[in-house]
Amino acid sequence: MSERVVVVEDDIWLAEHYMRVLRREGYEVYHAPHAIGAIEAIDQVRPHVILLDVLLAGTTALVLLHELQSHVDLAKIPIVLATNLADQIDIEDVKSYGVRRMLDKATMHPEDIAAAIRGAML
Amino acid sequence: MSLRGNQNQDGGGEAGVSATGIAAHELKSPLVLLRQLALELAGDSLTDAERRSIAEQMTLVSERALRLTSDLTRAESPQLHLFSLEPVNPLDITKDVRLELQSLYKAQGRTLSVKRIHHLPPVIANRDLLRRILLNFADNALHYTDIEGVVELQAQLINERSVVRLSVRDYGPYIPMKQWRKLTQNLTDVKIVHQRPLSSGLGLYISNEFAKAMDGRIGAIRHQDGASFYVELPVSHQLALL
Repeated sequence: MSERVVVVEDDIWLAEHYMRVLRREGYEVYHAPHAIGAIEAIDQVRPHVILLDVLLAGTTALVLLHELQSHVDLAKIPIVLATNLADQIDIEDVKSYGVRRMLDKATMHPEDIAAAIRGAML
Repeated sequence: MSLRGNQNQDGGGEAGVSATGIAAHELKSPLVLLRQLALELAGDSLTDAERRSIAEQMTLVSERALRLTSDLTRAESPQLHLFSLEPVNPLDITKDVRLELQSLYKAQGRTLSVKRIHHLPPVIANRDLLRRILLNFADNALHYTDIEGVVELQAQLINERSVVRLSVRDYGPYIPMKQWRKLTQNLTDVKIVHQRPLSSGLGLYISNEFAKAMDGRIGAIRHQDGASFYVELPVSHQLALL
């Protein structure tokens, strides 16, 4: 059975890009365009990894991270942040929220996405 | 670049983010997307249909970014307040906006509709500026509307039929009040980049500048299931005088 990834990204075309890349690598991928949808998707899918954008429409990723931490079973799901603000976020500051890897959207390559997901599951 | 009225008054720290910085931030997202799609296109794992779809997306993303740069140039123009005003049929403008964004909406699986409007009088406006305001609102609404969702262009007569309000109504996720307050602050003043998720509010600032140049105003209404952004313009009484 393939590993499941929930992609939380409000830019639909960027989300589709992530999904194409990850599906080619054999992952089962689900998409949520905002934090509220993400909670539902994560609850239903129980993913192995969450790929999370930071600046979401509506409730922000930080609220989602807090919410996940408040559930014992969901708090352990590893998270990969994909953000335009990578130069302003110290991964050490967000490790306590389960963030294992961070992708800088401005410099990442398609192969980095799958590599980060793999790395987050180690 | 020195956008009028957008300098933060409190100075220092994050408040020191310049208009150039804000504009750069706003343009970063489309550039990031274009780069990712170009890198994917350069690979050899796509089907022909995927290639065509990605090429179309790249065109539409470029057009969105170019609209923003064009609006910025226009908002910066010292002649902004010298644009000619004339009686404009608001229904024509809403139809133009719908037509212009139709491909973008369709490609994103959303619908932009014009709510039926009866007996709407002309407004005193500049056709190009009014079009740009509604394009801005409708483009912004794309981010806040669920997939397969509908965005509506609406119009109504208010203030004893002296003003026309043209709105873009989206049906997106619920926005918490604290965040809404920050968002609506951007209607009149560009704030620091982090105050609003997804966007710096530059589009709202530009729209406000355009509305002011036409003696109009912009505003926003928060709904349980989304939001409306609107521009209000005075009704033209020119025809009534004939």
